[in-house]
Amino acid sequence: MKFTLGWLKDHLDTSADLLTISNTLTNIGLEIEKVENKAEDFKDFTIAKVVSVEKHPNADRLKVCNVKTSKGNFQVVCGAPNAKSGMMGIFAPTNTQIPGTNIFLKKSEIRGVESCGMLLSERELGISDEHDGIIELEGNYKVGDPVAPIYGFDDPVIEINLTPNRSDCLSVRGIARDLAAAGLGKLKDLKIKKIKGSFKSDVKWLRKFNIKEDHLCPGVSGRLFTNVKNTQSPEWLKRRLELIGLRSISALVDITNYVTFDLGRPLHVYDADKFNGNLVMRKAQKNEKCKTLDEKEYLLSEDMIVISDDDSLHGIGGVMGGLNSGCSLETKNVFLEVALFDPISITKTGRKLNLQSDARYRFERGVDFTSIEWGVDAATQMIIDLCGGEVSEIVFDKIQNPKLKKLDYDINLTKTYGGIDVEIKKQIKILENLGFKINSKNNLKLEIVIPSFRPDIIGPADIVEEILRIYGFDKIQPISLTNKKDKNLEILNSNLQAYYKSKRLIANRGYLETVTWSFMDSEIATFINNNTLIKIKNPISSDLDTMRPSMFPNLLSSINHNISKLYTKGKLFEVGPNFFGIKENDQIMVATGIHYGYSSSISWFNKSRAVDIYDIKSDIFYILGQLNIPVESLQYEECKNSAYHPGKSSQLRIGKHVIANFGEISPLLLKKLDIKINVCGFEIFLDTLEQFQIKKTSTKKGYNNNPFQNVERDFAFLFPLEIRAIDVINKIKKIDKEIIKNVIIFDVYEGDKLPKNKKSIALKIILQPQEKTFTDKEIESISNNIIDLVSKSFDGELRK
Amino acid sequence: MSLNLDKNKIIEEFNNALALQDLENLRLKYLGKKGLISIEMKSLASLSIEQRKTKGQELNIIKSLIETEIEKKKNDIERVQINEKLQREKIDTTLPPRNFESGKIHPISQTLYKIIDLFGSMGFEVKSGPDIETDFNNFTALNIPDHHPAREMQDTFYIDDQVLRTHTSPVQVRTMLETKPPIRIIVPGRTYRSDSDSTHTPMFHQVEGLLIDDSSTMAHLKGCLIDFLKDFFEINDLKYRFRPSYFPFTEPSAEMDIAFTKKGNTLKFGEGDDWLEILGCGMVNPVVLENCKIDSSKFQGFAFGMGIERLSMLKYGITDIRSFFESDIRWIKHYGFNPLDISSTSGI
Repeated sequence: MKFTLGWLKDHLDTSADLLTISNTLTNIGLEIEKVENKAEDFKDFTIAKVVSVEKHPNADRLKVCNVKTSKGNFQVVCGAPNAKSGMMGIFAPTNTQIPGTNIFLKKSEIRGVESCGMLLSERELGISDEHDGIIELEGNYKVGDPVAPIYGFDDPVIEINLTPNRSDCLSVRGIARDLAAAGLGKLKDLKIKKIKGSFKSDVKWLRKFNIKEDHLCPGVSGRLFTNVKNTQSPEWLKRRLELIGLRSISALVDITNYVTFDLGRPLHVYDADKFNGNLVMRKAQKNEKCKTLDEKEYLLSEDMIVISDDDSLHGIGGVMGGLNSGCSLETKNVFLEVALFDPISITKTGRKLNLQSDARYRFERGVDFTSIEWGVDAATQMIIDLCGGEVSEIVFDKIQNPKLKKLDYDINLTKTYGGIDVEIKKQIKILENLGFKINSKNNLKLEIVIPSFRPDIIGPADIVEEILRIYGFDKIQPISLTNKKDKNLEILNSNLQAYYKSKRLIANRGYLETVTWSFMDSEIATFINNNTLIKIKNPISSDLDTMRPSMFPNLLSSINHNISKLYTKGKLFEVGPNFFGIKENDQIMVATGIHYGYSSSISWFNKSRAVDIYDIKSDIFYILGQLNIPVESLQYEECKNSAYHPGKSSQLRIGKHVIANFGEISPLLLKKLDIKINVCGFEIFLDTLEQFQIKKTSTKKGYNNNPFQNVERDFAFLFPLEIRAIDVINKIKKIDKEIIKNVIIFDVYEGDKLPKNKKSIALKIILQPQEKTFTDKEIESISNNIIDLVSKSFDGELRK
Repeated sequence: MSLNLDKNKIIEEFNNALALQDLENLRLKYLGKKGLISIEMKSLASLSIEQRKTKGQELNIIKSLIETEIEKKKNDIERVQINEKLQREKIDTTLPPRNFESGKIHPISQTLYKIIDLFGSMGFEVKSGPDIETDFNNFTALNIPDHHPAREMQDTFYIDDQVLRTHTSPVQVRTMLETKPPIRIIVPGRTYRSDSDSTHTPMFHQVEGLLIDDSSTMAHLKGCLIDFLKDFFEINDLKYRFRPSYFPFTEPSAEMDIAFTKKGNTLKFGEGDDWLEILGCGMVNPVVLENCKIDSSKFQGFAFGMGIERLSMLKYGITDIRSFFESDIRWIKHYGFNPLDISSTSGI
């Protein structure tokens, strides 16, 4: 909402300066967006007279002007073709900033001739794009006069960032009322004269709705004006509209805009010679079309309100008037519309048609329902003043005026809700200044009548806000919270603990944390998960149109950029959501990491080595271990996720819970993303870790300081290729968990020296006696057990 | 007594020994089969019992003196030899170490850890909720009906009949529907609005706070948020203001600004005459309490919401919001935090 200081003072009797007014507006909830004070910007420039013009001795196109200013005569070198002696122009002295070009003007020498200042073009002054010549002022101007008033810029423009609840402040009147309530002067009386018509209008306003939909347009009024003379608006009106960013069109149209901004009362004027019969408010018919003032044709639907005569449409109710019956400079007879509309209906219509207007903006926020009475007179006065003519009696069609809402209010609420005691007298004064009426009062309760222009006031909490925003939020003394926390309350539940802890653990393994979009390209998402695509209806761009089923593509897509910065290896991770559907349970929390390029970079003691899945595996085993997952109990399953290399990946489970995936990233996916380097990755499914995060008691099992010497024995077996190491280890351990403390694999070999389809695995087995030191015989017996078991269970053959 | 067995002379002889071989020679000289001591010992037999006793004792003393000297000198020589060897083994310790990687925590996470810690110490629990939300939880329950102009304050992404949450406030609704007051929760999380330019990203992070009990007022709201921001920015005399504003879910509503001054390219917070909006807050609208099945005649409280990126940018001097999401290794190494950079009591 934009307005000027002068305009505000039409409604507000105040001696406050611009800065005080701006600060007060922000403090009472009408936040200042911008204050534009061109008078300040132009303060260095004055009106000057060109006394003489001579040719520049060294340049054909330049002139040397002698300029008379209030501070003496100056010599100015000027290239403008229209510079001539006797003309009045605008002089910028040296050491000033030229607004249009943003150049700091200094005394200079142009082709050997000194130039002290400048005569400005409109472009240089920053008021238009005109740069064919310097400004030539016509009329009665004096040397030394300020520049701003010439262009009406002596009136500062204030823009406030209005919150959607305050429809009353979509008018200069409403803003003035708020400022007066805040103690910044007195709200002037609004003098709207009742103007009697001199004849009966031969056109009427009618509303045709069934009884259930009568609320869509609760009322419309207007009158006929005959023999008017539509002209250009007077300068003051043009200027005010232009200063707030509206284009001046003609007096009649400008009046409707002016009343809209001045009083918050949208209006429309029809050329009464361009429609037939009466004007009717009704619902649109299916597929009806209306061409509106923006010269576009809109296809309407049955839920919209239209203005129609006997033959055709003349506007979309509450949004925009029709093109055919709009007023022009030729208009002689005018029919006025002052209507009320249902905010919800206007919102829906505006959104459907994607059509914004100052009228719609006000109607969807709520217009004072009493305005269909005073609005006609306010418009009438201006039309008579500017365009003359005769006025008819008022015509209207409306349901009964709604009654003003009343509210019971406990005066202690400022204390018990707002946290500050405000004297009852002060409370009443604020409310009355804001237009509320206090009907009855006892010691504690007020009956408050809500003014018709405040549809946003619903309950007592709104009244507290009204009082406190005027009284001052800064007067509320802050009170620190006392911590009523009970000892058992955990700041983070077990699920969130895994989430927040995992980040530190993963970073501790050398990974850099990143955050990427929750959405991605549907084409890539399909590659990862072709079952369910969760498409966004209105994506920001086509490559961000789907909720991600995996973080890998987002992480991978940073690789090429980082490689270009010579980070030829890198470890990145993200902890965040993946999506498999739109239900709550379809969103899972995952920690995803990638490691690309080398495991270790080239150095003086070893060669670089490409990252492999065992690097990744050591990271996740560390991380899972730190998150209390019994890593020894993890089961290995095939990882059926196309982000991974099918032969170089695994899924880790405990029971039915999938704990993690890890492996090499699928070369197919890498190819799709144009990545030419080796990448391994992991995913830890944090939601399944919750069960392991539950706080355990702090006591531990007693320590068994076993005194007997432990023994190690090495074995090498020849296995069929498909035998899995983990199965061999688990099986051997199962022989006796007390005795077989560890099974270490210290060599794996596949190759030419072995029979086909065989591999060799060498194991070191650590034995721990329980009751007494092992004898050779006992060790022999355990060894034989192991050899037998491996042979039977895995077809493993001891290598001698 | 033989002159050969003068104690001082023997000690001097040992002092002059430089190598293990010298020591061995001395040992043989005195203690060997034909050594001086051995010979003397043998000669004892020819002496009287009295003399034998006296001389025997003397000989034993000298013998043990020699043995001690040998042991002592041997240690000395070996130490010198080892030291010489160690000196020869000197290597260049300035060569680079074997590889290790230092990971980093993203500034958004670090900011969150700090926020959780500060509100945790005020008795707030952390809650979470889904990113894909129902229209009811994201809008309707929060007093933003479908036709409401406030819906246009937030550009919403739609998925089927659901929305990507435009704020973390829906978790307020979920919590109030599930639990009874008193409630103190904060809700950090991802939020989405279809907005993308130099100062907006389609995804960002918010933390929402909610406190419901039977007596908390705007004075507590102010106290809670001022205490938080002072601790968060580590500025004791933080200059701030509460400005009336509007949110459909709070009434009265306010925005909190903190003061700043700009000198050249650096911003200084907490003082000055310019204001920077830092969060939105207010007393929970009774309509919202009723929508969430809480009796608004018995309970009241406040809610607040703030952008994590903005707090992070201000605290750590990051200038471009888009850079948070670019996975640029140089950026993360620059703005990231060490994994164990923990300043909190909650231990995360």
